[in-house]
Amino acid sequence: MEAQPNPTPSAVIATDRLTKHYGNVEALVDLTLDVRSGEIFGFLGPNGAGKSTLIRTLLGFLHPTSGSATVLGLDIVADSVEIRRRTGYLPGGISLYDSLSGADALQYFADLQDQGSSLREELCERLQMPASVLRRKVRDYSRGMRQKIGVIQAFQHDPELAILDEPTEGLDPLMQHAFYALLDDQRDKGRSIFFSSHVLSEVERVCNRVAIIRSGHLMALQNVEDLLARRKKKVELRWRGDVAPDFAGVPGLADVKVNGNRMTATLLGDVSGFVRAIASPSLEDLTIEPARLEEAFLEYYAGDEASEEMRG
Amino acid sequence: MNLRLYLQTLRWNQVRLAAVVVASIGWGMLIPIVYVQFAKIFKDLADSGAFPRELLNFGSGSLFTLPGALTLGLQHPLAIAFVGIFAIGSTVGAVAGERESGTLEVLLSRPISRRTLYVTLAASSATLVAIVLLALLGGQLIGVAIQRVTNELDLALMPLVFLNGLMMWGAFAAFGLAASVSFDRHAPALGLTLAYVLINYFLEILGSLWRDADFLQPYSLFHHFNPGKILTGDGDPLDFLILAVAIVIPVAYALWAFPRRDLAAPS
Repeated sequence: MEAQPNPTPSAVIATDRLTKHYGNVEALVDLTLDVRSGEIFGFLGPNGAGKSTLIRTLLGFLHPTSGSATVLGLDIVADSVEIRRRTGYLPGGISLYDSLSGADALQYFADLQDQGSSLREELCERLQMPASVLRRKVRDYSRGMRQKIGVIQAFQHDPELAILDEPTEGLDPLMQHAFYALLDDQRDKGRSIFFSSHVLSEVERVCNRVAIIRSGHLMALQNVEDLLARRKKKVELRWRGDVAPDFAGVPGLADVKVNGNRMTATLLGDVSGFVRAIASPSLEDLTIEPARLEEAFLEYYAGDEASEEMRG
Repeated sequence: MNLRLYLQTLRWNQVRLAAVVVASIGWGMLIPIVYVQFAKIFKDLADSGAFPRELLNFGSGSLFTLPGALTLGLQHPLAIAFVGIFAIGSTVGAVAGERESGTLEVLLSRPISRRTLYVTLAASSATLVAIVLLALLGGQLIGVAIQRVTNELDLALMPLVFLNGLMMWGAFAAFGLAASVSFDRHAPALGLTLAYVLINYFLEILGSLWRDADFLQPYSLFHHFNPGKILTGDGDPLDFLILAVAIVIPVAYALWAFPRRDLAAPS
């Protein structure tokens, strides 16, 4: 693990050696992490890694085997009802009442939440769920439309904390972007979001910090930027003529392969030393591919079949 | 109890409830007609010895007296089916069905404790059962009035009959709800509850048809639902006590077990 979590009073979620076993199966093992107020926190891992188990434990659906956790400063066992009053939750693969219309389902959830639905209209507009669609029965909805209802019901009462399990599942790319914008706005308002996903690009796109989980164990907990800064960038360079630039001594450069007037390599850290070293009138083209979270993730899952799943 | 959830649960059952209420009133009305038209024939048949009297009984009911006929009407498989739709069908699906369909997760992500959910579902089940029982008894009273045999009935005792029926079906509903909170799938909860009801029914009917087996009848909850005895002024408080115990045990179990269960992700 690259960083030790340091729960602070402003943590909206704090777990302390949280453990959950299903019989002999260890779903979560000594999980200690914190989610800070006002951040979007990504919780990464392939299916079966323990993401949903953590979420379900935080919301009181599952009982911890050992350890403890708080959500919004409230104990997950003793204060579960109050936690659910102040949070919004989008379950993975949400199921809705088929006999209700979309509008009735949202109203029903709002009534049960007892916190109003001040954001519903705005959310319906942003996620393109007009009144004509909301009047239809949920049974007639596509997977994406159901997911949009799921997103709206999770946010419509303007919760302090939203806990989202695979939130973009079933959303088309356009709606995914609308959803990312919604998350950005929530963060700007000071709301906190805990966001589980196995889609690396979206975590990289929206999250401030990310935890990576593997077989119930926390593998990493870092700022996304820090995580990316520690990953190697791919560089590709072409030049005119037969004389290659001098790469010797360039800090962070590795895996250098020269083929004619073309060179590929990996670069760790600051690019300025590399750019100074290759600066030459004969330089024809330079590509520096930014580090991707996927690389970091695959590193943690090296040799694991799960990495294939994430790659896919 | 959560009023919004309670009302929504009733709303989800309103079409089914309306159909069952109409059918129950119709069935209830039929019983006094059958009694007036055929009681003497059955009595003569029994008195002649050509037909064993036991076979003319049905559970605690019979067609020889109006209270017996009303009891027969309430213990008949048709009446059991009408009330059972809600006392068994709805209760068994209340938690296990939602759990299986995945909607329980969305429901419980609201600020509703599991005990509140249970109490609300129990209250809505009791309401549905009460409405069907009222329809059955109301139909019977309409039939009694139409046949002009109200003089054979002490109407002041009808509320006790209703309470007796509500408690028996409440006991089955409590068992169904306890099964529902104990399983992740609908089928085992339904199977267990149906088995419980059928065993109770079998013990009562077997004892009424075969005299040597009548010692089994007190072990059946149906035996403690006896409008005939109540309407003739012979109601036994012990029947009410036994039914109360049969309600309290599954309710106490459910209130203890449901909050302690892990609700894993729907498969």
